[in-house]
Amino acid sequence: MKKLLLVEDNEMNRDMLSRRLARRGYEIHVAVDGEQGLAEALRQLPDLIIMDMSLPVLDGWETTRRLKQLVETKAIPVLALTAHAMAGERDRALEAGCDDYDTKPVDFTRLLGKIENLIPAAT
Amino acid sequence: MAGFGFSEHFPGVGNIPAIKPFRRIIRQGRMVLSQIMTSTITPTTEEPHSETNYRSIVEHAIEGIFQTTPDGRYLLANPALAQIYGYGSVGELKGNVKEIARQLYVDPDRRTEFIRLMKEHDAVWGFESPIYRKDGSIIWISENVRVIRGEDGKVLYYEGTVEDITERKRTEEELRRAKTAAEEASRSKSQFLANMSHELRTPLNAIIGYSELLREEAEDMGQDSFTGDLKKIEKAGKHLLELINGVLDIAKIEAGKMEIHAESFDVAAMINDVAATVAPVVEKKGNHFKISAGDNLGTMFTDMTKLRQSLFNLLGNAGKFTEGGMIRLEAERRTESSLDWVYFRVCDSGVGMTQEQAAKIFEAFTQADASTTRKFGGTGLGLAITREFTHMVGGEISVESVLGRGSTFTMRVPAELPAAVPEPVQAVSTPVVDENVELSSDSPLVLLIDDDLTIHELVRRFLQKEGFRTICAQSGAEGLELARKLQPSIIVLDVMMPTMDGWSVLTRLKGDPEVSDIPVVMLTMVDNKEMGFSLGVDDYMLKPIERSGFVSVLRKYCEPHGTPTILVVEDDATTRDMLRSSLEKEHFAVIEAGNGTEGLKQLAATRPAVILLDLMMPEMDGFQFTKEVRAHSEWRDIPILVMTAKDITAEDRARLDGQVSRILQKGACGREELLAEISTRISRATRITITEREVAA
Repeated sequence: MKKLLLVEDNEMNRDMLSRRLARRGYEIHVAVDGEQGLAEALRQLPDLIIMDMSLPVLDGWETTRRLKQLVETKAIPVLALTAHAMAGERDRALEAGCDDYDTKPVDFTRLLGKIENLIPAAT
Repeated sequence: MAGFGFSEHFPGVGNIPAIKPFRRIIRQGRMVLSQIMTSTITPTTEEPHSETNYRSIVEHAIEGIFQTTPDGRYLLANPALAQIYGYGSVGELKGNVKEIARQLYVDPDRRTEFIRLMKEHDAVWGFESPIYRKDGSIIWISENVRVIRGEDGKVLYYEGTVEDITERKRTEEELRRAKTAAEEASRSKSQFLANMSHELRTPLNAIIGYSELLREEAEDMGQDSFTGDLKKIEKAGKHLLELINGVLDIAKIEAGKMEIHAESFDVAAMINDVAATVAPVVEKKGNHFKISAGDNLGTMFTDMTKLRQSLFNLLGNAGKFTEGGMIRLEAERRTESSLDWVYFRVCDSGVGMTQEQAAKIFEAFTQADASTTRKFGGTGLGLAITREFTHMVGGEISVESVLGRGSTFTMRVPAELPAAVPEPVQAVSTPVVDENVELSSDSPLVLLIDDDLTIHELVRRFLQKEGFRTICAQSGAEGLELARKLQPSIIVLDVMMPTMDGWSVLTRLKGDPEVSDIPVVMLTMVDNKEMGFSLGVDDYMLKPIERSGFVSVLRKYCEPHGTPTILVVEDDATTRDMLRSSLEKEHFAVIEAGNGTEGLKQLAATRPAVILLDLMMPEMDGFQFTKEVRAHSEWRDIPILVMTAKDITAEDRARLDGQVSRILQKGACGREELLAEISTRISRATRITITEREVAA
């Protein structure tokens, strides 16, 4: 079973996304801010990290930058979720080291496609 | 009455189009009156009995009527004039006002301008100026005057009428402010919408997500009775999201926040991708969807996201208004005037539009007609957004339509994003600074906080001439807000204001770290310097405004061009030239005078940062010049550097002691030393002013 780490501070989004992803056969771990995300990534070493960008404590851009610097985590793909549907946001996410991005509100089918692109054959 | 026709120039007439026709009528009336008056009344004591009626007209006229001498005294005035100027009687007016230029005009240059115009045109119409009434208050007047010459052509006197236009000026000012406020409001509205739309999307995200989740779970559990309703929630949520996205896009475009991100992409691949996404929507109502793309489409370098969205909008639209028909997407690359263009055409065989409907189809919140929304749904924003996007990437969009037969939308986009894409449609430009368009944005900005609109107009006018930009606030609250927002170079503050008085404004300004270091000058009728300085004011000026003093105070805190001016008073032209060239190399502005008298004249016109002074000069020497300068309070703090070839005696030294900053020997003092000395003086002058203010406080 593929392991996903979802870093998202909004409780409803976190709950909804984790439940929907779990239904698709993923093992889900969650974190509510960047710092926790970093710790959880090191502990779980997931196959993919879905990262909200506007996070408290440590924002998504900085968290991704740090993840990409650590030997243990730098190979893990990061999928950025940005609330702003602006092209500039995408560039910022990719610059920070994210491997792909998607915009909120989440189009679940599209998100699944992106996840499968980054980690083939989930089930 | 020669030279009195209406075809004359009307110098000084304000230009408010709506008022013009009325003004013309008033002018005609006035001319008749003026003719009656001047043909009959002479400034002598003889008053023929037959002219009683005409006298009565003058006596009871609503407008002020006068005759004045070229040197600015009254020969004749009527009671209305005395009343306009705030005097109890004609006698009081004539007895008190002996020099019109200084006593009446707030800006004495207005009288000079008036005399100049008289010389050129023999008459002025609608000559508008602020003037002081007897009590010191300021009103605006409009004058219509002509010159009366003797047989030898010499000016005997001026005669004319005066109208109090303060109320009109106030209205003009209020209109201007209302316009500014409206523009500001429109901008904040767009900003609000942009922010709000983001906020709306967050909960919507949850609504859509959970309804999808529940539907999936219900299906898994075989709860088919729920799935229909859950689908409805999901669909309504998605529709709402579409609406919000549209509003967000429009708001972003109007707020000038929509950005362009160009990328290189394969056109055919993009079209196939769009077609695949949109096909289910387009084919929904039994439509046949066809793509015909040329094989030379190649690549484009432009904003793909906006282009895709535009095509989605056009195709989605075609699908919405066509049933059991044909929808075609065509694409073709063409070279026109040495530029590569890609044409996209979306044709449908749907309901079509009348010409009238087609004409406004691209406007935001407009559909062909109101019933369209009920029948076909949609936001009415899709085409407006598409047009804006197309413009943003340097393209154009048009529509051809036949009612009942279908529509064709044609979008023409440059294959390469042009270097200078026309600015996105911006609802507002920066509002408040617009009124100072002639001045560059690096001119110092003066914030005037005063409830009297007459003062606004007046100050703005003369400061503009002096190279300052002026922003006016009518209340303390507005002033505080503008100070924070615009960070002006200096704030000019009145004391007597309704709701929040100047002292409270001052206290808040000085208590706010964001603005506390902006110099504040009080400009008020209230003579309470102690109060001002104790609250942290930097300078204190009394109304009525004494123009040159006011400007020199402002200059003290902000040099209009950022370049310190040096006045060189020196009789030897070669030395002057040499000094000028070395000073200008160091980016100082230089003004010159050949002797003390000329030096004083230059001082009256421009306040320099430093004076370089020779001692031995014809007409007025350096000693006398220094004495004169130090006798003027507003020049007292200008540093003077004496440069002389003269052997300075003990007596000379005593005469200059305490009056000049330093004495330099010509020849002994090099260029470097001189420049260093000037720089020290300039920075020290600023420090000294501060120290003195602290002492005064």
